[in-house]
This record gives sequence, C-alpha cells and structure tokens, in this order.
Amino acid sequence: MDSHYLLSLCALSAAILAAALLIGYLIKRPPLDRHTRLRLFFGLGPLPIAAALLGNYANLEETKQRRFCGSCHVMTPYIMDAESKESGSLAAIHTRTEWFGHESCYTCHADYGMFGTVSTKLGGMRHVWDYYANDWSSGTRKPKLYKPYSNKTCTQCHPQGTNRMSLAHKVHEEMLKGGAVSCAANGCHGPPHPVYGVADNEKKVSAAVEVLP
Amino acid sequence: MSETPKSTRTDKLLRGACYASLLALVLIVVSLFWPKPLAVIVAMSLGQALGTASLAMFLFVVAAEFRRSRILDQAAPVSLKPKNEEKPQ
Repeated sequence: MDSHYLLSLCALSAAILAAALLIGYLIKRPPLDRHTRLRLFFGLGPLPIAAALLGNYANLEETKQRRFCGSCHVMTPYIMDAESKESGSLAAIHTRTEWFGHESCYTCHADYGMFGTVSTKLGGMRHVWDYYANDWSSGTRKPKLYKPYSNKTCTQCHPQGTNRMSLAHKVHEEMLKGGAVSCAANGCHGPPHPVYGVADNEKKVSAAVEVLP
Repeated sequence: MSETPKSTRTDKLLRGACYASLLALVLIVVSLFWPKPLAVIVAMSLGQALGTASLAMFLFVVAAEFRRSRILDQAAPVSLKPKNEEKPQ
C-alpha cells in the first residue's frame, strides 16, 4: 500500500475516533466525572493531535506530487510539457527518469540543504498567495521563480570537478559555483521548460484549462 | 466532583472546545480527501489553531475544576471531612 494512503487512513481513523468521542459528549452531556474527563481528554488531545500530525505529513507528501503543482491551472502547460513523451525539454527528460517520477517538480525546485524543505514550502506559500491575490485571468502572465534557480540542485546528481569535465564546464566552473551562470540558461542546458510567446501562452493555457476534468 | 454541567461556564467552555475540535478535524479530513493548495493551507493553519485552542480550553477547565475542588476541600468543616482522614490512635 502507498505510504501516503496509509498515512491518510491512519489520520482519518484517528479523526473519526476523536469525532465519535466528542459527538457522544455533545449528545449525552454526561456529568463531568473521571470517565468523562478521560474521554474528553482523548477526544481533544491525543487523537486530534495524531490526526493532525499524520494528516500534515500526508499533506506534505502530497504537496511533492506533480498533480498537486498542476492543480493551479496556470501550471497546466508546464505539467503537460513535463508529462509529454515527445517533449525534449529538461523538465520532460527528467520527468521520464524513474528517480524523479511523480515528484519531478519538487525534486528540481526543492531547495538544497538542511532546511531545504522548509524554505521550499515557504516559497510555495508565496506562490499560492500570489495565485489567489493577483489577477491571472488574462492567461498572459507566466509563473516565475522568486529567486535565481540554484545550480546546486543540478549538481546534486550531476557532480562537477571531475577530470572528464567538458571544456565548457571547465571554462565556466567558477561562474557556475558562484551562480553567475545558470545550468538551465539558454545556450547551456536550458530552457528547462518551453518558453511560450504571450499570445501562444494564452492559447495553450485556454486549451489546457478546457481539457481539465 | 461529579456534577452535571448545564449552562455553566465550564459547560460552555467544554462545548466550545468540542465544536472547535470537530471543526479542526473536518478541515484536516477535507484536506486529506481534497488535497488542493488552499485546503492544505487552511488545514495546516486554521485547523491546527482550532485544535490547539480546543485542547487549551479543555486543560483550562480541568485545571479550574481541580483548583475549585481543592478550595472546597480546604474550606469544608472538619466534621464534614471523611473519618478515614483522621489520624489513627
């Protein structure tokens, strides 16, 4: 069984048990004796806490999935490209790799380091805020990164500094380390996603939104 | 300390805690079945806040009841206290 479903199931079970205890109290309104206090303690303490912890973990795992990223319709062209078997973009090539799989968006866009997950989720919150607080209805606006794409994300899997490094990499080594040149820049290995023109993007977003379930 | 909590402050607090916790649980369950950005954010912020508040209300009630029972015990006349509390001779 998938770990996400198992976590969700456990969270749901804890929530149902807690709700049963609380609803039972609200209906019966028994005297506040030791047994009632114990039932209320479990209904308000350990069981909801377990439901929240397991639910949060399940939700955090869910937010790594590509389908979650694609649930905002402005991302649909990017998701369609990443999932396309014909596309030769960096996103599509990496998505076809088993290690990236259904978490290809997160794997490439997660920050590297000890607190990478936290900073990634905070950045994601900003995107969500931007999505709901600003007008995207024209379809001409493209999602953008709020900070330059870090080369460290690439070099996690593509290590540099070896003797077999290509001349282009040797020449740009220092600039790559300093972030002055991006691996995903045009002319190097990028762009990672197809770059649409304004009118073209509008058509693709409209077409993609129409096919959404 | 077994009393029927009807229309007292304790009862109101406990019922409020139950309703807040139930709402928090609903938000968590909704985010599990419908994992969209807004649902997940609401569950992980508002849901957590409501759940924490409900537990705090319950603990407050328990602490207040405990304190009240201690005050009543101290204020009770010696003749009303159970005999087994007296020192054996």
